Amino acid sequence: MASLELKGVRKSFGSTLILEDVSLTLDAREFVAFLGPSGSGKSTLLRIIAGLETADAGEVWLESFRIDPLPPGERGVAMVFQHYALYPHMSVRENMAFGLRNARVPKDEIERRIADAARVLEIEPLLDRKPGEMSGGQRQRVAIGRALVKEPKLFLLDEPLSNLDAALRLRTRVELAQLKQRVDAAVIMVTHDQAEAMTLADRIVVINDRTIQQVGPPMEIYNRPANVFVAQFVGSPAMTLVPAQLAENGDYATLKIGDGTVVETRVPRDRLPPSAHFRLGLRPEAVRVVGSGEATSKAKVELVERLGERTLVYARLGDGQPITAEDQRDSRLKIGDEIALRIDGAAAHVFDADGAGYHRTGA
Amino acid sequence: MTSARDWRGLLFVAPFLLLYSVILIFPLLRGVWLSFNQVDLFGDGHFVGLGNYARLLNDPIFGTSLINTFEVTLMIVPALTIIALGLAMALNRGSRNAAIFRGIFFSSAVLSVTIVTLIWRFVLAPDAGLLGELWKAFGWQPLPFLSDENLVLPALAITTIWWSVGFPMLLFLAGLQQIPGDMYEAAALDNASRWTTFSRITLPSLRRTVVLVVMLQTAAQLQLFGQSQLLTAGGPSGASRTAVLFLFETAFGRWELGYASAAAELLFLIILAVTITQYWATGRATAAQGGR
Amino acid sequence: MAADFRRGRLTPLGWAALVIGAALMLAPLTWAVLLSLKDNAALVGHSEAALHGPYTLDNYVAIFGNSLTTRWLLNSTIVALGQTAGVLILASLAGYGFARLDFPFRRTLFVIVLIGLAVPSQAVILPQHELFAWLHLHNSYPGLILPGLIAPFGVFFMTTYMRGIPRELDEAAMLDGASRWTTFWKVILPLTVPAQSTLAVFTFLGAWNDYWWPLISATRSDMYTLTVGLAAAQMNYAQTSGLGYLMAQAVFASIPIFIVYIIFQKQIVRAMAGTAV
Repeated sequence: MASLELKGVRKSFGSTLILEDVSLTLDAREFVAFLGPSGSGKSTLLRIIAGLETADAGEVWLESFRIDPLPPGERGVAMVFQHYALYPHMSVRENMAFGLRNARVPKDEIERRIADAARVLEIEPLLDRKPGEMSGGQRQRVAIGRALVKEPKLFLLDEPLSNLDAALRLRTRVELAQLKQRVDAAVIMVTHDQAEAMTLADRIVVINDRTIQQVGPPMEIYNRPANVFVAQFVGSPAMTLVPAQLAENGDYATLKIGDGTVVETRVPRDRLPPSAHFRLGLRPEAVRVVGSGEATSKAKVELVERLGERTLVYARLGDGQPITAEDQRDSRLKIGDEIALRIDGAAAHVFDADGAGYHRTGA
Repeated sequence: MTSARDWRGLLFVAPFLLLYSVILIFPLLRGVWLSFNQVDLFGDGHFVGLGNYARLLNDPIFGTSLINTFEVTLMIVPALTIIALGLAMALNRGSRNAAIFRGIFFSSAVLSVTIVTLIWRFVLAPDAGLLGELWKAFGWQPLPFLSDENLVLPALAITTIWWSVGFPMLLFLAGLQQIPGDMYEAAALDNASRWTTFSRITLPSLRRTVVLVVMLQTAAQLQLFGQSQLLTAGGPSGASRTAVLFLFETAFGRWELGYASAAAELLFLIILAVTITQYWATGRATAAQGGR
Repeated sequence: MAADFRRGRLTPLGWAALVIGAALMLAPLTWAVLLSLKDNAALVGHSEAALHGPYTLDNYVAIFGNSLTTRWLLNSTIVALGQTAGVLILASLAGYGFARLDFPFRRTLFVIVLIGLAVPSQAVILPQHELFAWLHLHNSYPGLILPGLIAPFGVFFMTTYMRGIPRELDEAAMLDGASRWTTFWKVILPLTVPAQSTLAVFTFLGAWNDYWWPLISATRSDMYTLTVGLAAAQMNYAQTSGLGYLMAQAVFASIPIFIVYIIFQKQIVRAMAGTAV
C-alpha cells in the first residue's frame, strides 16, 4: 500500500514559483530523503505535507486519505524541526504530552507512550528537565521522542542533523537508522547533505529548481544520475564534466575530448540523441594516475588532496581542461608534476546538450 | 501558516482596537470637530469655523502661556540632558557604590507629581521652606521663588529636573552599555585623551540616545502641567501659566469647550511640529556627518 | 583590565560632584520626612524646628484615623492594579494578533495603533471627559481605569517581543494539534513572562502616579486617588491640620511606590532602558 502520495503539487509565494507540479509516491515504511541545495523548494514541499504551507494546486494523500484540506494536527504526521522547537517552558514529559493532550488521548495511555519512547531513546533521566538544561544531542532525542509518542503514519524530519557537531552527527545518524527499523511508518527527511541522504534513505528524491530531478535508491542516484545537476550534486568531489565529440560509429559511444584523448564508453550508441556534441562525466575513481605505459592522457598537477584512504589529484589536461583524478593513498605527487592518467571508459557517463544523462547498461 | 487570510485573527486584536477606537480615536476626531465650534456647558454648540483659532491667536493670556511653556522647556531640556549624560557616564560601572548612586538619582522619578510638588513647595517656600531656612542660616533674606515673576519659571524648572533626571539617566546608561568595549581599548592604545575619547567615541555612539532623550523630554515638558498648577496655580499673575494649564482652566474652570479644544489641537500641532523638526534636523546632521 | 578603558577612573572632583548631587536629590526627601515627624504646632512659623527633636509619629497615626487618606490609598491600588491587569490582557492578545496572525488590514491597523503613541493625553482629554459623562462613568472605578487601558506602547512592546519568539514553536504547536487559542495560551504566553513583568511594572507606576485623568474624572473626594487627594490637600493647605500632617501624607503616599520600586528595580530599569533600544 502506498504511504504518501503527492499529486501535481504546485506552490508560489507571490510571483515567485517555488514548486512546479510535483508528484511522488512513497511506499509503506519507506525512508525517503529530499535532497537539494537551499532554495530548491525541498523544505517547502515538506511543509506542504505537514500542513504548515498550503499548496496552490495539487493533492496530498496519506494512506488513502486526502490530508491536504486538514489542519496540521489532524493529518497523522509528526515533525522534527530543524531547531527542534521544543517548548522551552515545559519539561521533557510535558513537551511529549502536549500533542497527546490536545488529541484527548487518555492519561494512562499518554504515560505509557512517554515511558516507551523515553526507554527507546534512553532519555528517561531527562523527563523532568527543561530544554534549556540539556545538550544539543539530548534536545534532538527529545524532539524525536515528541514525534514518536504521537505514533504518526509519517515522520517528517527537517534537516535533523544540521545543528549537531560532527561527532554527534555520526552517532545520531546511526540512531536515526535504528529508529527507522523500529517505527511502523514512513519517514521523510529533508537534507542538503548528500552523505546523510546516501547513508539513511531507502530512496532519494533529488530536488532542484522547483521540481524533482530524480527519484531512486542511493546507488542508482550515484551511478545513474538523470542529469548534470544530479551528477554534480551527488558525490564528493563533484563529477568532472568534459566537453566531448562523438568520434566513431559502433555499438557504444566513443568520445573524443579536447586534448585528443579518445574514450570508449559503455553507453549504447543508439540511446544518444542525434548530435555530435556531448559532455563526458568522470568521477575521480574513473580517472587513475598510472605509469606512462597504460596511460591514455597526460596532465599537470595543480593540487593534491590527501584524504588518508585515497588521494585526490586536481590536474589540467594538455588543453587546459581541469580534471579530478585518484591516486593511491601513499601518493608522492606534488604540485607542478607531469602525470599520466588512465580514463576508464567503462565508468564514464555521457550527458547531452540538454543535460540529460546516459549510462552503461546493466550495473 | 495554514490560514491564508483569516478574519478570526481579528478576534485577538478586537478587544484592544474596540476600546482604542472609542476612547482614543473617536475623541481625537471629536476634538477636532469641537475646535471648530463654540461649545459651552449649557448650550448646544454652533459652528464657528476657524473662529476659535483666530481668538486664540489674539488672546494675550494664551500667548503668554505658550511663551512660558517654551521658556520652561528651554530651561529644562538642555540642563536635564547634560546632567543625565554626566551621571550616566559617572555611574556606568559595576561597583556597589555606583548602584547605590543610581538608585538615589532615579528614586525621585517614581514619585507622582503631587508628591513632588508637595515636597518642593516646602523646599521653595520662603516662610516654611528648606531653602528659606538655609538662606536664613547664612543671614540672607529668603528668596520668594514662587511669588516672584522672574524666579518662578526657574523654580519650576529646578523642581522638574529634580523629578525627571532618573529616566534619561537610565536611557543614557543603556546607550553606554551598547558601545563595544574594544572601541575604548583602541582609543587607549592610541593615547587618546579623555576629552577626545568622549567627543570622538562616546558622544557619536550615543547620538541616537541623545536624540531620543531630547525628543521625549521636549514633548513631555511642552505638556508641563502639574508643577505649574499645584505649586503656583499659574501665578504670580500668569507668570508660570503653561499651555496645558491654560487649556485646563479654559475647559474645566470656564467650560469653554470649543475654545479649549482649539487650544488643545494647536498645542498638539506644535508638539508634533517640534518633534518632527528635531527628528528631521538630527537626520540631516547625521547624513551630513556620514557624507564627510 | 578592559573595563577600565571603558569607564575611566572617576576623579576625586567627580566623586565630590556625585556626592553633592546625591545630597541635592536626598535633601528634599529628608526634609519632608523630618517635617512629617514633627508636631504640627511646633512648625508654625518655625519650620527649622524640623532639624531637631522631639520627633513623633502622631501625624502618621492621624492618617489612619482619617478615613479619606486610606480610602484614596485603596482607590489608587484598585485603579493601578485594574489598569495593569487590563493592559496586560489587551496588549498580550493584540500583540499575538499583530505578531502572528494574518487578517485583513493588519498592517494598517498596526500603524493606526502606532499613531496613538504620538497623541498627547491633553489632545483628547475634553472629548474623553464628555464621553465618560455621557456614559455616566465619572466618579467610578471603570471610569478611572478605562482610559489607562489605551496603551499603544504596550501593544507595540508585546508585538515586538512576540515577534522575537521563533515561529517554529507555533508550527510545532500546530502539528501538535493545538488550536490558535491553545497555542497562544499554553505556548506563547508563558514565554512572554519577562515582557509581562516589565510591562506590568511600567503600567503600574504610570497608573499609580497619574494625576491628569483622575483630576478630571474623580470629582467626589471619596473617589479621589492618592495623587488627586494629595493635590486637594495641598491646595487647601491653609485649612488643613498643619505642615507636619501634610508631609506625613506625602511620605505615606510615597511608601507603596518606593516598595514597588525596590522590589521591581530590575524590571523598571529594563522597561525604561528597553524604550531606548
